[in-house]
Amino acid sequence: MANGLSDHRIFRFPKPQWLNSAYTRTAGVHAAGALFSLALFTFIDAATFSKSHLNGSHFHVNFVDWIPGIFSTFGMLIINSIDKTRLSGDNFSYSGDGVAWKARVILFMGFAGMAGGLAGSVTVCVLKYVVTDALWPELWFGVANIVANALIMLSCVVLWVSQNMEDDYTYNLAL
Amino acid sequence: MPGLKTIIALSFILAIGFLLVILSSALFGNYLTLLVVATYVVAPIPNWICGKAAQQDDFMDNGSNTVVELGRFITGFLVVMGIALPVVLAHTEAITIQAMAMSIVGGLLIYSTIISFGMFFREQEEF
Repeated sequence: MANGLSDHRIFRFPKPQWLNSAYTRTAGVHAAGALFSLALFTFIDAATFSKSHLNGSHFHVNFVDWIPGIFSTFGMLIINSIDKTRLSGDNFSYSGDGVAWKARVILFMGFAGMAGGLAGSVTVCVLKYVVTDALWPELWFGVANIVANALIMLSCVVLWVSQNMEDDYTYNLAL
Repeated sequence: MPGLKTIIALSFILAIGFLLVILSSALFGNYLTLLVVATYVVAPIPNWICGKAAQQDDFMDNGSNTVVELGRFITGFLVVMGIALPVVLAHTEAITIQAMAMSIVGGLLIYSTIISFGMFFREQEEF
């Protein structure tokens, strides 16, 4: 089984063996949830700090700051709810030509939402805080937005990788 | 095999955890830190529900496995939420730094008790 897999690989270094275990997959899904929580609470920290009595400036977090995070979250939701076996439609007979094409279009929309969220967070940070000369305690509202969107993207990558581990694992189990 | 000593040790740790969290709220007269206890009590529930939901046909089927992974995702979310919530509250000075540290340590003790209780006294169903 392992030899059969290594015939198909492209790179010199093989994928390490621990990457295929069920334990790593479980840890990966947990880590993805943890990263998403970290992202959400980074941004909530900025929002609560903006509302608290510590914020003496005229900068405030309002709905404009939430839009990039919402886009990133929708992108992550779309990317990770697609069934991965539908993407390679040419290998399987049960998924016709239409299904793989539709799955790729929806996946593209997910990636576009996620990239748009990250770009939007940088835009909000620059246009709302950097250009208007915000100093540090207020600049955190923009920086936290970028950090939160980057963490959502990282969480999506971890979840995607650990969901793709699943296929190899179940294949190993089946044979 | 876990016996009486394990139960006594676990309940002792659980009591210390609750003591720390309740002290962190009662000492400063600010009961926001009790949210940590609620978070950690809720944290094992998604795994339990999703495990029940996926039990019917988990053999040669990828669809039911997704539900289990959703439960794990939510669990990871809630565990980090239990740490992040006191930090956010302390950053906005809704609670003090001491209350933050005490509630984080107490919450982690409570959650580790719940997890190790589940690990020790799981029924030996799986091969």
